[in-house]
Amino acid sequence: MNLVESHMLVKKFGDFTAVNEVNLQIPDGMCFGLLGPNGAGKSTFISMIYGVCKRTSGHIRVFGKDPNTYGREIRQQLGIVTQDNYLDKEMNVYENMVLYAKLMGVPKDEVAKRIDELLDFMSLTHKKKAPIMALSGGMQRRLVFVRALLGNPRMVILDEPTTGLDPAVRHLLWEKVNELKRRGVTVLITTHYMDEAQNLCDDIVVMDEGKVREQGSPKSLINKHCPGYMAFVSDSEENLQKFSRRQDSSTALEIIREQNVLALRSNDMANLQIHLKNADVDPILIRPTNLEDVFLKITGRELSQNA
Amino acid sequence: MLDTMDLSWKVAMRNWAIYRKFLFSNIIPTLADPAFFILSFGIGLGGFVSQIDGMSYTQFMGPGLATSTALMTAFFSTSYNFYVRLFYEGITHAMLTTPVGPREIIFGEFIWVGLKSAGMSMGVVLVLLCFGLVDYHYLWAVPFVSLFVGLACGGMGLISTAMVESINQFQTVYAVVISPIFFFSGVFFPINQFPVVLQWLAHLSPLYHGVVINQQLLWGKPNLFLILTHSLELLVLSMILCFIAYKLIYPKMER
Ligand SMILES: Nc1ncnc2c1ncn2[C@@H]1O[C@H](COP(=O)(O)OP(=O)(O)O)[C@@H](O)[C@H]1O
Ligand SMILES: [Mg+2]
Repeated sequence: MNLVESHMLVKKFGDFTAVNEVNLQIPDGMCFGLLGPNGAGKSTFISMIYGVCKRTSGHIRVFGKDPNTYGREIRQQLGIVTQDNYLDKEMNVYENMVLYAKLMGVPKDEVAKRIDELLDFMSLTHKKKAPIMALSGGMQRRLVFVRALLGNPRMVILDEPTTGLDPAVRHLLWEKVNELKRRGVTVLITTHYMDEAQNLCDDIVVMDEGKVREQGSPKSLINKHCPGYMAFVSDSEENLQKFSRRQDSSTALEIIREQNVLALRSNDMANLQIHLKNADVDPILIRPTNLEDVFLKITGRELSQNA
Repeated sequence: MLDTMDLSWKVAMRNWAIYRKFLFSNIIPTLADPAFFILSFGIGLGGFVSQIDGMSYTQFMGPGLATSTALMTAFFSTSYNFYVRLFYEGITHAMLTTPVGPREIIFGEFIWVGLKSAGMSMGVVLVLLCFGLVDYHYLWAVPFVSLFVGLACGGMGLISTAMVESINQFQTVYAVVISPIFFFSGVFFPINQFPVVLQWLAHLSPLYHGVVINQQLLWGKPNLFLILTHSLELLVLSMILCFIAYKLIYPKMER
């Protein structure tokens, strides 16, 4: 069963089309990644899921219902980590959570227990009475996770959950997301970190300028767009010419010009090394290709106009 | 509908929870303003104005000042205060991730602004009562009047929140709309001192109706006809203003 289904979904702000004819299905129990450069329309798509942004045209069903009319019922079953924290700075940690537990309709006699459990789950118990301003960025983010989980959601939506956080917090949050997956919670996550998407997501959609560009599992996307290995060499005219001369269909070498380096990709490690040897160039780095290469290939290495 | 009322009430209670934290420092300015008016105008100017309608000037001013507390309370709560919560702090956006929708946010705001206005102007009335400046027989009805003044003026505040392009423009709204309402609604002198055109314009001011009703209630010689007609006008005005406010502020909460 699909928890979210959109068909030709469009959102316009005036003349500007933020989401453009998007068709998506998010099956139950899946961790679904929504990737795309800044301004691709990810957050707008998400706000249409929970019914706060009204679509311009097309269809969307969440838990089989139309968010425009059943927004309240849908949000009751969703846990949403918004891109910005929006914590209530005039209340302390516990007061914040009590307010949102009430808004989520947690029964009165369960409020305290639920909050304690979740604060513990996010390792925040020691900050229970702290004012919001006394929390570090990572703690605030974890508190937003607590807030999102208060209603025991069937599906969580994480909009750039780890942007700007240090590696330790990111890893902690990944662990928690995996724990949620194990409990059968469906996850929709947007991120700019490709390692994050590769680690967590079963299925990935790449959006750009409001449109879905590509969809598939991380592995299948890598295999489709840039399988194999990447070697990076310094970006000089000389190097470019050396490798360009060698690039033809028989040599299976792809040359990608990046900002300060030249990237060479081949399906086969041995082949890549032969090319480097023949050209007599020492690579700066050789590594397997990853989702980041796919992302850059699909969305382009230049900044798009909306970014 | 039951859910809507329940959620709206919870939204309103969030504001009360915050307000309660610094109750004393929140209430002081609200009470201080009318107190200074009484001191400066009542005692200072009162020396020159011997009697208005058979009352001392301070007695004349009392009910109007208490009612205008509802105007100020409601306007500041729905302009600066709500604006910050909506556009700067995103409190409303966070609430919109729960079953609360834009409708519940707006209703919650109305509930809060109505109750706060009623409470504040009742506070002023009680202080006046301590100084023997008002009659106590119909005092119980004052909060209901101020509640509707608060709703109407809260509606105006929300309308301006929906319309201003920057938070600084509230100063303009204050100067062009709120101040004139404050000074020309019969708080400081009977409006029959005005040209007829202005007297008619005053009917568009929710404060004017509230002031007349509360004056009738607190001067100790209520005129039922005046109370009824002005109640009707106040009711209609507050419904219209709240309706427009709802229509204008609702889209601001949709992304
Ligand atoms: N309320 C709005 N009014 C006008 N433009 C908007 C509004 N919200 C978003 N946009 C525009 O829509 C585009 C997509 O935004 P968003 O969905 O936030 O992108 P993402 O989350 O992928 O970075 C951006 O160019 C943004 O400027
Ligand atoms: Mg975004």
